[in-house]
Amino acid sequence: MRTNYRIHSGIRFRTLSEDQLHALFDGTLHVMENTGLDVHHEEARDIFEKAGAWVDGLRVRIPSYLTRRSLEMAPRSFTVYARDGNPKHDIRIGPGLAYFGPGPTPPNFTDVDTLERRPFVRNDARIVAKVVDALPNIDFCESLGTISDVHPDLAASYEFAEMFPNTSKPIVAWSYGWDDGEDIHKIAVAEAGGQEAFEKRPNYIHYCEPLSPLTGSFEAIDKLIFSARHRVPVIFTPCPLAGGTAPVTAAGIIIQAAAESWMGLVLAQAIKPGLPYFMGGVLSVMDMNAMILSYGAPELSLMMAGITELSHYAGLPLWQTGGCTDSKTLDEQASLEGSLSCFFSALTGGDLCHDVGYTESGITGSILQTVMMDEAIGYSRRITRGIEVNEETLATDVIHSVGPNGHYLTHKHTQKHFQKEFWFPNLCDRRNYQQWKESGAKTMGERVIDRTRQILATHQPSPIKAETEKAIKEVMEAAEGRVKNKS
Amino acid sequence: MSDVLSQISSAIMEGKKDDIGQLTQQALDEGLNAKQILDDGLMKGMEVVGVRFKAGDMFVPEVMRCARTMLNAMEILDPLLAETGAKMFGKVLIGTVKGDLHDIGKNLVGMMCRGAGFQVKDIGINVEPETFVEAVKEFQPDIVGMSALLTTTMRAMGDTIKALEEAGVRDSVKIMVGGAPVTQSFAEKIGANGYAPNAAAAADLVKKFMTAA
Repeated sequence: MRTNYRIHSGIRFRTLSEDQLHALFDGTLHVMENTGLDVHHEEARDIFEKAGAWVDGLRVRIPSYLTRRSLEMAPRSFTVYARDGNPKHDIRIGPGLAYFGPGPTPPNFTDVDTLERRPFVRNDARIVAKVVDALPNIDFCESLGTISDVHPDLAASYEFAEMFPNTSKPIVAWSYGWDDGEDIHKIAVAEAGGQEAFEKRPNYIHYCEPLSPLTGSFEAIDKLIFSARHRVPVIFTPCPLAGGTAPVTAAGIIIQAAAESWMGLVLAQAIKPGLPYFMGGVLSVMDMNAMILSYGAPELSLMMAGITELSHYAGLPLWQTGGCTDSKTLDEQASLEGSLSCFFSALTGGDLCHDVGYTESGITGSILQTVMMDEAIGYSRRITRGIEVNEETLATDVIHSVGPNGHYLTHKHTQKHFQKEFWFPNLCDRRNYQQWKESGAKTMGERVIDRTRQILATHQPSPIKAETEKAIKEVMEAAEGRVKNKS
Repeated sequence: MSDVLSQISSAIMEGKKDDIGQLTQQALDEGLNAKQILDDGLMKGMEVVGVRFKAGDMFVPEVMRCARTMLNAMEILDPLLAETGAKMFGKVLIGTVKGDLHDIGKNLVGMMCRGAGFQVKDIGINVEPETFVEAVKEFQPDIVGMSALLTTTMRAMGDTIKALEEAGVRDSVKIMVGGAPVTQSFAEKIGANGYAPNAAAAADLVKKFMTAA
């Protein structure tokens, strides 16, 4: 924790003590070494074995020295670059830096025009990317859905091809497996100017998801191997349900999720030492009546805070979760659950906070929710920036010069600092009743919808290179050829 | 109602899985037959459990325990019921389709169906269409339940139905499908008989299939 205000004047927040973190760390190493994990990928098991793990059938047990060494190899700080060289869209990963963005793969989307829930289509990926590009507090892009109106094997390839030209913020890409992962990589590399240039300035991150409890599916492992071999920064994030696919206790689910994440870490570092690596994932409760993974539960925020602290304790950046809700629509519940989890995530400094815009417990993506949460994140970021304390901000001389009965409005101290000291809302209405009434008496929800539509009507993302446009066309044509004779 | 039957109902509701065997035996000793014990004891208890669960007054782990309690009693009653030839409820075969390793939703469906009195055969995860066919031939279920959590593996549900058709056993079963990306219209498209959005709905659906049959 940095308390030197010259570096970081943020507020101090901790859920776990050093001793508790040590216990969680040891617990994770113990599970990896004694229980191990099932890896449904023969080549990966060979790599594990050569690296020093014990392999017995599908089961891979990882001695703790190997995990510690892998943790040492992975960087805590690195940069993922904006494709267009705009430094404001770069993501610099490191202590005290927290970023936000949407999530992958819900089957449905809230239509921005009709506001109806319907299957996610190709054009929605473009919409999401464009809005993400414009929002001041959304830093990376995911599509908020799985495209339903193309060949299912190509949903992820089309998703990336639609998003990439419409935002220069780094994309967290998702794919089913190797082939579509390769499609995505070819597009990103075309823009970067070749594989070597990409390795120096990676412009996207790849997302893989092991299964809880303690299982690496073939696809998840295959994607991880692809990412490692091509030096794509990688996220390996489980989605355990407390009480269902993980222990019911917060400490227990954190240990299991860390073990699942570090299985991927050990493999990735064995293939490509120093590969930028994010551990995950989404930790929450299984609602014991509705039987869903709750995206609005307080336990989500608490468990995520715990695993963020463990991750930072171990020296890894974390894939955080927030801005999501169990609500089916853009309502008070969505606002409450989303805002609180954004705020809590901001407090933890979890490195990349995703799922901003998940509604209906991850079944429906809503860019409207993302737009509303952009405001909540701005609000949260003002708080976590904390109170700067130095001679200038203490302002005793200013107080002296104004004295009793004066005012500060015209003082140069006010002029100089008000824009930085204050947060300015985009959506929260602070005007008086008369003004609000005269401008249509709009609710927060209505203002969110207006802003979203306005961005879509006016925002112009920076264009991709001509050669990338060509590459996208070629990649997608080849991809269509690949599935031509598949049902 | 006999005292022991109401004790059996209560034991089910409270999930007293270690006491139920003794109570069931006691009921038999008192001269009650297996069908009476099932209908007026066990199922009475499970009906209350179902109502309470739907009202949000009971939770999944408690319902699981009740279902487990029911199974312990059924171990004693099943052979007796078989002797009398009373066909009580149906048989349900469940599995997660090829390419998909997701387990928990299917397990919940299994427990909910067991709790509703059905005999359930769980053939696991990543189940090939051919394995479904073999299991249908061997277990002869009334209902086949298929689960998938991924948009890619969903397609294997259609493949499985085709395989059942080709093997000539499609019409001997009702097919229900479920999993996060699955919808009613998808179920209709692939020719399933029904779709259940969650495990409790799946238990209702299998009951509906059996009354309709």
